[in-house]
Amino acid sequence: MKKRTLTAGLAFFLCWTALPLILGVGYALLYSVGLVGLLSEGFTLVYWQRVLTHAEFWVDLGYSLSLAAGAMLLATGIALRLVLKHRHSFKQGLLSYLIYLPLAFPAVVAAFLTFQLLGPRGFFSRIALSAGLIATPEQFPAMIHDSWGTGILLTHMAMAVPFLVLLFIHTWENERLDELGQLAQTLGAARRSRTWRVEVPVLIRSSRPTLVLYFLFVVGSYEIPLLIGRESPQMVSVLAIRKLQQYDLTARPEAYIVVLIYLLLVAVLLRTLLVSPTNPKQP
Amino acid sequence: MKNFTYTLFVCFCTWLLFGCQTASKNPGSSVSDSLSWEEIEAAAKGSTVHLMMWQGDPQINAYINEFVAPQVKARYDIELKTANGQGNVIVSALLAEMEAGKSSSELDLVWINGETFFQLRQINGLYGPWTGRLPNAAYLDLDNPFIRYDFQQETDGYECPWGTVQQLLIYDSLRTPAPPRTRQELEAWVKAHPGKFTIPNEFTGMSSLKALLADFGGGRESLNGPFSEEKYIRLSTDMWAFLNQLRPYFWQKGETFPAGVAPMHQMFASGELDFTLSMNDCEVDNKIRQGVFPASARAYVPDFGSIRNAHYLGIPAASANKAAAMVVANFMISPEAQLQKRNPEVWGDGTILNMEALPADWQEKFSNQPGRKFAPEKSQLLPRAIQEPAPEYMIRLYEDFRTHVIETPVPSL
Repeated sequence: MKKRTLTAGLAFFLCWTALPLILGVGYALLYSVGLVGLLSEGFTLVYWQRVLTHAEFWVDLGYSLSLAAGAMLLATGIALRLVLKHRHSFKQGLLSYLIYLPLAFPAVVAAFLTFQLLGPRGFFSRIALSAGLIATPEQFPAMIHDSWGTGILLTHMAMAVPFLVLLFIHTWENERLDELGQLAQTLGAARRSRTWRVEVPVLIRSSRPTLVLYFLFVVGSYEIPLLIGRESPQMVSVLAIRKLQQYDLTARPEAYIVVLIYLLLVAVLLRTLLVSPTNPKQP
Repeated sequence: MKNFTYTLFVCFCTWLLFGCQTASKNPGSSVSDSLSWEEIEAAAKGSTVHLMMWQGDPQINAYINEFVAPQVKARYDIELKTANGQGNVIVSALLAEMEAGKSSSELDLVWINGETFFQLRQINGLYGPWTGRLPNAAYLDLDNPFIRYDFQQETDGYECPWGTVQQLLIYDSLRTPAPPRTRQELEAWVKAHPGKFTIPNEFTGMSSLKALLADFGGGRESLNGPFSEEKYIRLSTDMWAFLNQLRPYFWQKGETFPAGVAPMHQMFASGELDFTLSMNDCEVDNKIRQGVFPASARAYVPDFGSIRNAHYLGIPAASANKAAAMVVANFMISPEAQLQKRNPEVWGDGTILNMEALPADWQEKFSNQPGRKFAPEKSQLLPRAIQEPAPEYMIRLYEDFRTHVIETPVPSL
């Protein structure tokens, strides 16, 4: 009886979670080889060949990964520093309230704000101009639509830092790092090794799954690169939507290929990055 | 047992997936030919029409939401709801519905032209012919080639003309007292004013490239007729070379291009750019009145001409409210709605009605309507009008502007 309930529960779970995903991937796969789609003309690998041999896709993928990695590394660094040095300020008073504010910002709003602040005719540019630091607005360093994706990087950092600060503070308390650190010092650890050999490794290790998930969230982000990114290179989700909505309808399968490769990458990253070094069996 | 369950699951998924392929090619009901217009109006009563349109201009949105919608509600008891989307968004939405085998569409009326019409016809996404059944169709100016042909295609009653426009370059007469008139002058101007000129990577920008392409072809009529691969390759190769050598002098050193005209208008207003483009030849009047552009802003057509075209209304094949969509379209091409739309204070869109076919009192109202103040009059624009070339030109320009310009490294000076 118990087994039957379990099977039914499992079937229900599969239908709700796995089935739509499998169907979506399956549909994308069929579409990508021309087996479904209103304009399909039968099985072909020409779309796969076109995407895989065109530099555009690989450049965009590399761009997305490096931007996300950069944003995560910088944000993690800043959040760690804030938590190690100033975590008590975030527990009470104004900061404990303000830290939650950026979390409530939708990505579109954050991107728009970045545009208003960092654009060539934005807030900082105007200040620099009136302070005489630059002679014309064009001299203000380009941070919006620039080739390095500076605006995208800064926006993602601004959104990630408060989140990571809260995450690390939570982890700090969960892992009882105050006590652990004191113990380490009692056993003779220097202040420095207490930070670098106890606190930081514990924080990173315990937050690892969330950090990996946040990294993937940044890789796949859409609105921010759409609004303040450039036309080329683009981040993968912007590329996928562009391919899906392009004027040449016969090239639509390429959009599905972009999505499929991205999903494959997510699956591989999740598998390799989430496996904890101390417990290799953990998924 | 376990293997059996898995096999069953896989079979089920496969069945579901291939089920998608049976998407109906032309679902949806049609409006019976035997119905009179009165019967169509009666059938439309109480229904809701979903119009998908480009919503990038507040004045156009206001015309639809504050004039057309209340009027069709009061006259025909039809609820008009709008959704944002143009061109490729409309095509994607309808294509996805058709691939999913959806029996009735979310959309009943779409604002389209040219390549979107071509694509929707390609996938049998449009209902028709229907435009001949509208009582107001008798007033349409179908002898005018700019209205009758949409990107060199016969509309065949599958889309109804709604308005006409011509592309204009907008500049500030104080900042740029003598704007460039020819391709050579444009080249010299861009080189003399680095960072002040660009082309948006969308519909309006591609339309301006067509005018340039026609100029490389030797004149305003050089792209007329069916699409020619040989001609396109020959002319576009020259054009990409021309643009690439100018790119270092473009906005952002030609490393990127604005995604739309709205950001271009903003940059023009803030002084970051010296030119912006518009497919709405009354835009400069509208924007000066709204206080977005300085009062010294003006608009013009260079000597090599600019694209003039009409825009249309189509009914998706799967629309469940075709009768109501027809009633709304009939109102939208009525002399009253067209006169209102033509008013520069409202929108300033050109009419598709034939003045001579209109009753005398309407002719008088049209001729007495005050003109625009800052943009040239329509009649002055016509001699420099270029007819839309075949849709394949647009589709190729979109792809190739990306390949040959955006993704090509900017040449160093």
